Amino acid sequence: MHEAEKQAVAEAVAPPAIELKSVYVNSGGYELLRGVSLAIPRASTSVLLGATGSGKSALLKAAAGLLVPGSGSVEYLGKDMAKFSKKDETEFRAHSGFIFQDAALWANTNILNNVSMPLRVHKPWMGQSELAEAVRMAFKRLGYEEGMALRPSDLSAGEQKMVCIARAVVHDPDLVFMDDPGTNLDEDGLEQLFALIAELEERGKTLVIASNNSEFAYRYADMLGIIKDGVVVAFGSYEDTLARAEKEPELKLTRLRARGLREKKARRGAS
Amino acid sequence: MNILSSLGKSARERASTLLYGLGFFYNVITETLRFFKRSQVGYKVLINQILFTGYEALAINAIMAVAIGAAINVIGSSLLPQFGQSQLMYTILIIVITRELGPLLTAFVITARSGTAIATELGGMVVNHEIEAYISVGLNPISYLVVPRFIGVVVSMVILTVYFNLFGLLGSFVVVQIVNPTPVSEYLGNLLSLLTISDIFSGLVKAFIFGIIVSVVSTYQGFSVNRSSTEIPVAGIRAVGQSFILIIVADVLVTLVQYA
Repeated sequence: MHEAEKQAVAEAVAPPAIELKSVYVNSGGYELLRGVSLAIPRASTSVLLGATGSGKSALLKAAAGLLVPGSGSVEYLGKDMAKFSKKDETEFRAHSGFIFQDAALWANTNILNNVSMPLRVHKPWMGQSELAEAVRMAFKRLGYEEGMALRPSDLSAGEQKMVCIARAVVHDPDLVFMDDPGTNLDEDGLEQLFALIAELEERGKTLVIASNNSEFAYRYADMLGIIKDGVVVAFGSYEDTLARAEKEPELKLTRLRARGLREKKARRGAS
Repeated sequence: MNILSSLGKSARERASTLLYGLGFFYNVITETLRFFKRSQVGYKVLINQILFTGYEALAINAIMAVAIGAAINVIGSSLLPQFGQSQLMYTILIIVITRELGPLLTAFVITARSGTAIATELGGMVVNHEIEAYISVGLNPISYLVVPRFIGVVVSMVILTVYFNLFGLLGSFVVVQIVNPTPVSEYLGNLLSLLTISDIFSGLVKAFIFGIIVSVVSTYQGFSVNRSSTEIPVAGIRAVGQSFILIIVADVLVTLVQYA
């Protein structure tokens, strides 16, 4: 068997990056997720579209182990997160990043400490100057230039979002969860974010994006999902989901259908 | 039937809250044992907690200790001679200050200052999703946020109780001079001859237990906030109320054990 064939077989049997199996999440008496099952393939970009309050954030947080399901399971590379040892948990966190919808910066410390925290946790040997350099590099990728000694409260909502994005990618994770990543960003910020997503895609990272902005799906989705009232009503390749939406108008996707199929560049870094 | 069903539901909820609380306490203890073994980033939080809970409360604790010591002195020196029991003055002063009021009042001060601060700060962090952000970068909120506050409050409580004892027993001497001038050597001699190790130890055991109560209840209440910012002050109020009740109950129990 050729190397390429062997690799193809290995990929076919490899577990997905994240898999949710019949996940139910309750909070404060409300059912946020109702029996969600889906598998996020490795080295792909999955975009979940849904209206406000449809359960996108809950789904993303459940997938990232930030919300514990009432029932069902979430697996990372085939391993049930509920059965994670401390080592597994640390490993997962070292290889993942999360962009929060409302930034979720730590108010009592400065920007440098906010962004460098993943490095201080997972690479404790790094010195102060190395940390500052790594943070500068992360900001450079986003075209962001603000004082690192400032506190989050000194920044605008858009700048806070940029800091949150930098914190999620500063340790170069393989898996990045993005909860409405475009919220509060101006046009320039949005373009920087698109450039970052393109760069991460090219390097073979697994991206999971929840948004109500179909632009993310049009530009980047390998996999496209639709969530409604806590239920994933469609999830498949971009083309398949779009084709399904043509037959099932209740799935909406009006804008994407109007734009038609697009040619997405093959991922160079995908393995 | 409805009454029975609602009673059953309420009992189930209370049992589940109690179990959750016990699980939380168990987690705090196990993470505390691990805290010093690893080079965690939580040391800064610990130092800040000791500064806020211990150092910044020194002044109010000293003022209270001197005032209480002086009051006991003034009341005792006017009442006890009427019964021919003037010699009991120092015994009462030592017992009341070191065994009872020192740890108890210090615990009340720390609950009012730090208990509310911890509960509302953590509650605010929950609402702003800062706790989720800590988890997302690989920091365990118990070991990074709770343990430093737990250790900080317990250490501060014990140190502040020693401080209260010193000011209560010695500082009150200055006030006593106004109503009942006494030579320093006589005052100190009487105090030291009656002060025993068990008096000091008894107060410190209470301080240690009260510290555990205040820190665990306050952090637990902080984390009990769900989504709304209106829950934050409620968490602060609950932290104070529950801490006071548990401190008083613990005080009675420890006193019963000591004198039984």
